[in-house]
Amino acid sequence: MRRIGVFVCWCGANIGGKVNVPAVVEAARTFPNVVYAEDNKYTCSEPGQAAIRSKVTELKLDRVVVASCSPRMHELTFQKTVETVGVNPFLFEMANIREHCSWCTPDKAAATEKAIALVRTAVAKAVMNDPLQPFPIPVTPRALVIGGGIAGIQAALDVADTGIETVLVERDPSIGGVMAQLDKTFPTLDCSACILTPKMVDLARHPKVRLMSYAEVEEVKGFIGNFQVKVRRKARYVDLKNCKGCGDCAAVCPVKVPSEYEAGLGPRTAIYRPFPQAVPGAFTIDKAERPPCVRTCPAGVNAQGYVALVSQGKFKEALAVEKRQNPFPSICGRVCNHPCETECNRGQVDVPVSICAIKRFIADTVYADGSEEPVLPASAKDERVAVVGSGPAGLACAHSLALEGYPVTVFEALPKPGGMLRYGIPEYRLPKAVLDREIDQVRQLGVEIQTNAALGKDFSLTDLKARGYAAVFIATGAHKGQSMGVPGEDATGCVDGITFLRDVGLGKPMDLDGRVVVVGGGNTAVDAARSALRLGARDVIILYRRTRAEMPANSWEVDEAVHEGVKLHLLAAPVAVTVRNGRVAGLKCIRMELGEPDASGRRRPVPIAGSEFDLPAEYVVTAVSQSPDTGFADGVLELRRGGIIAANPVTLQTSVPGVFAGGDAVKGPATVVEAIADGNRAANAIGLYLRAEAPEASAAALADQPQTGKPFTIPKDVAKVPRAVMPTLELSRRRRNFTEVELGLDAEAAMAEAARCLNCGICCECRECERACEPKCIDHSMQDETETIEVGSIIVATGFKPMDPVAYGEYGYRRYPDVITSLEFERMCGASGPTSGQILRPSTGKPPHTVLFIQCVGSRDEGKRGHQYCSKTCCMYTAKHAELVMDRVPGATTYVCYMDVRTPGKGYEEFYRRTSEEYGARYIRGRVAKVQPNGDGLRVRVEDTLAGRPLDVQVDLVVLATAMEPQADSMDLARVLKVGYDADGFFTEAHPKLRPVETNTGGIFLAGTCQGPKDIPETVAQASAAAVKAVALLSKDKLLASPIVSYVNETLCAGDFFCQPICPYGAIEEKELAERIAGRPVTRKVASVNTGLCQGCGACTVACRSGAINLKGYTNEQLLAEVDAVCLK
Amino acid sequence: MSQVGTAAGWEPTIVAFCCNWCSYAGADLAGISRLAYPASLRIIRVPCSGRVNPHFVLRAFQRGADGVLVAGCHPGDCHYTTGNYFTRRRYLLMQRLLEYAGVNPGRFEVKWISGSEGPKFAQAAREITARVRALGPNREMRDEA
Repeated sequence: MRRIGVFVCWCGANIGGKVNVPAVVEAARTFPNVVYAEDNKYTCSEPGQAAIRSKVTELKLDRVVVASCSPRMHELTFQKTVETVGVNPFLFEMANIREHCSWCTPDKAAATEKAIALVRTAVAKAVMNDPLQPFPIPVTPRALVIGGGIAGIQAALDVADTGIETVLVERDPSIGGVMAQLDKTFPTLDCSACILTPKMVDLARHPKVRLMSYAEVEEVKGFIGNFQVKVRRKARYVDLKNCKGCGDCAAVCPVKVPSEYEAGLGPRTAIYRPFPQAVPGAFTIDKAERPPCVRTCPAGVNAQGYVALVSQGKFKEALAVEKRQNPFPSICGRVCNHPCETECNRGQVDVPVSICAIKRFIADTVYADGSEEPVLPASAKDERVAVVGSGPAGLACAHSLALEGYPVTVFEALPKPGGMLRYGIPEYRLPKAVLDREIDQVRQLGVEIQTNAALGKDFSLTDLKARGYAAVFIATGAHKGQSMGVPGEDATGCVDGITFLRDVGLGKPMDLDGRVVVVGGGNTAVDAARSALRLGARDVIILYRRTRAEMPANSWEVDEAVHEGVKLHLLAAPVAVTVRNGRVAGLKCIRMELGEPDASGRRRPVPIAGSEFDLPAEYVVTAVSQSPDTGFADGVLELRRGGIIAANPVTLQTSVPGVFAGGDAVKGPATVVEAIADGNRAANAIGLYLRAEAPEASAAALADQPQTGKPFTIPKDVAKVPRAVMPTLELSRRRRNFTEVELGLDAEAAMAEAARCLNCGICCECRECERACEPKCIDHSMQDETETIEVGSIIVATGFKPMDPVAYGEYGYRRYPDVITSLEFERMCGASGPTSGQILRPSTGKPPHTVLFIQCVGSRDEGKRGHQYCSKTCCMYTAKHAELVMDRVPGATTYVCYMDVRTPGKGYEEFYRRTSEEYGARYIRGRVAKVQPNGDGLRVRVEDTLAGRPLDVQVDLVVLATAMEPQADSMDLARVLKVGYDADGFFTEAHPKLRPVETNTGGIFLAGTCQGPKDIPETVAQASAAAVKAVALLSKDKLLASPIVSYVNETLCAGDFFCQPICPYGAIEEKELAERIAGRPVTRKVASVNTGLCQGCGACTVACRSGAINLKGYTNEQLLAEVDAVCLK
Repeated sequence: MSQVGTAAGWEPTIVAFCCNWCSYAGADLAGISRLAYPASLRIIRVPCSGRVNPHFVLRAFQRGADGVLVAGCHPGDCHYTTGNYFTRRRYLLMQRLLEYAGVNPGRFEVKWISGSEGPKFAQAAREITARVRALGPNREMRDEA
């Protein structure tokens, strides 16, 4: 039995005028558990409260119900009243018989009846109420400020000045925000930098401030007073402490990208400082994800690096970059199949950069002038390594190992080193002198090359071990030509392509008189055909069973072959070689058609029955396939199908420890650059093996590094430039000789071609900065780091971004160079800006005579392109811009097209008056319909809505006052912080009038334009306000949290955690419960509420199937009691 | 208790669960603006519309309520970020459950009413009362007295 007192309020005539109050009191007396009821004129007044207090004491009431106004009005008042006389505030209940009854019910009888029902309901709930205690939570006395614009700087300084530690996280390399980009500030025309930069320095020097620049908040856990914030500190690649800010690095950087600080009007280097007064003053290297050229190259050669250096004329340095991964640039510059060019992003603009030709240019040029800086090998080591095979894989491996200091011997079966480079690729593509030069460079590193020494014939693997080689790399290639498998192949005049090219390479005298038919569509076939032509063949035909599109040969080689006179005979296959007197007389062929795609994705050729035909020929070269000749394996080395050597794909180790294999011998026929990649990889693996490091560690060290970094987007305004054309030998001079066909680019063409590179990786990793930096504070291997910081309060000051006006096509932004945005104009006015403060037309570089400003671009526009809101600052800065034009360009005329001029602010209206009246800026009320080029300038069509007529204005420069928008990722941050945001993406305050700097999440405050458009004075005021709120919170030792939180009945909890995903605060945790059931110890998991996180919404209670989780103050029992009472009739 | 009579005789009883942050404030505003709506609608305050267990709705019908209204913040505006999204999903299920149980689903409604929408609250109260009045007294689920 409870002892409840009911106090019914007249609220003067507010309630008493519609509700029969004495009747309500009378009814209340009849409700169960009610021991007392009375009415008062004004219960909230002191006499009313005194009546409650005295009756509680006198009658020992344990619960109180007041029937009066809305609990949103006076619940707190009465809770405090009952608390003074020893009643727990949560045992108080309120019936809202004013707002919900007397004020909305005209009929007196109905109002009285409803009031009685509402009191009955309140009493029913009060019966079920339990006393609740707010609980204390500790406070971490540290603040976090997110964003280092003027709002963040001000808030951080204000908090830190009270002696509370403050962490400021800024995602850009420097603090300063948009204000640092401004030239002057309205209405005083103060220099923005002059008032901002001292504050930036104060912040950096403040003993209580920790500045984390180039860092981003990734995760926020915890609750008011106790947040754990995970911050990612992005790799700067420059040691923040030791960088002196001298700028020597930027002076040598070959990469130029648009400067964000200059709003794209000027360039910056990849290693950069946004502006000279940046805080911190250290440089930062901007790296995007690995560019497609580097990513695609099997050997990972840094193409962007050497291309960038060539664009700067740094050929010697470019060669050094090339040689980091590829010892044979001069060879690869001629024969590489350059998959890098296929993937080159420039291909999406016009045509890919001619990377391979640039590569060749570098090597040829630097070798010719002898300026290459020699790379010295590391100190000599003892373990000797044998390399079997002197093709690109073997030589690349030998080269790398020699650089590491290992003594290397290369064994070559043929008379000269080079493998397929010498015996597979004809001299008109790769002159032997070029080949010999780069092989000699390998020799000069101390590598010994023994020729005419074949594995399996002249020595065995066991011999190598006996001779003291600690490791072996087998790179014997794929030198066995496959036969076609048709009758007559053994006739004189029929030879496989590999043998044919080898004989050509060996210089065997050959005189081909008559017709040569080459069977096959790969590079071997094309090389054989073009060689045959040079050896005097009257007529050369390539016979291929599919179409030209399916030919695996490099397309440009096929083009050259056709150009030289080779005929393609497509969709035909040989059936037999026609033999006459033991000699080839021709080929019997059959026509093919393309059927279903096969495993390689190409359509399978199917013979057409009855379509056989004869092709007379004197010679047949079969270039259908080639395979490794691995007879030497002899059961010692494990082989796979087709005779290739089995090797671990990452470490390249074979079934025999210490014996590694790579190149075509492992892959089957592939490309030169893939072979070089294997050689490099093998050298690394062998180094690790010889240093006896754990194989797992080796695998990790050798595996491809994961792709990281921000994605690159192709700039929208790249001008199309034709690709450099490779000069070639005249057709007439190609017959009967093997003179090189491609002649190479000259320096001018190569530099122009290199300048076409888009610098997709931003930093090209040429490492010129590393060499230039005297304090040695550049480290290209730096990694992002994450750190968790503990704070009690968070101030969000992430600012805004100016809208991109490209959606307003009628204004012609990006189409006409003389249409710019207000921020671009601002940079143009900056004394240190791209034009040194001169206002110039981008198209001519001359001052404009007439400038037209278009306001509300993207603001106050309900269409899809813009925003409904007013950006608040544009009227004023446009007035400022108009004054700047008229100050700096004598005699200039300015027009401002506006919808309304809004000047609410101290001194603002006066400023606007001065602009329009004293300066004489011409204000036209109306939205601009179109901006069009006209003669030397632009014609702007606008309707003058005051005069009611259309106007055409001829101007030199148009400036768009673009809307302020939330940061593109503001909603992501809102989710991390669990704060609300509005339809536009601005963060929402707890109350638009009374709690403008708080959010609905306790302990998180807002400052500046992340909450909505505002100017600098307002931003600073809000920042200081947020700082005070944060300090008020952080200066407490403990906080009292609302006791209206969920709780779990552990006996009922089934541990299915349906409540967990529903909780928006992550407040439901798992808890292990140890029990004894039938004497046996059992553990089970139950839900447990983290009361610091729980905000009391009660969503979890509905999800719980067993009814185990309940919400204090609004329990299932309380609400059901209310339902029962309210329905009672 | 005797049935509250008007000229028409029978007036429906409607239970309205209102979230503390939006709809309860909206109902307050309706009162402050002196907007009249039928007295048959009675409000129970909950922290969030997501707190309303379908059990409460069924209990109201069992105890003789003729209609039930659940009112919460507009989607996207929930004080607790996501509570009303759960309400929205439950609403569809609830309609079908009532239909299955033989209760006219027109007796149950969910409305999004913000703290600034006093007129919308009063309008919603009028509409559901009119609809339930047309449906007549709830005889489908009420417990026999």
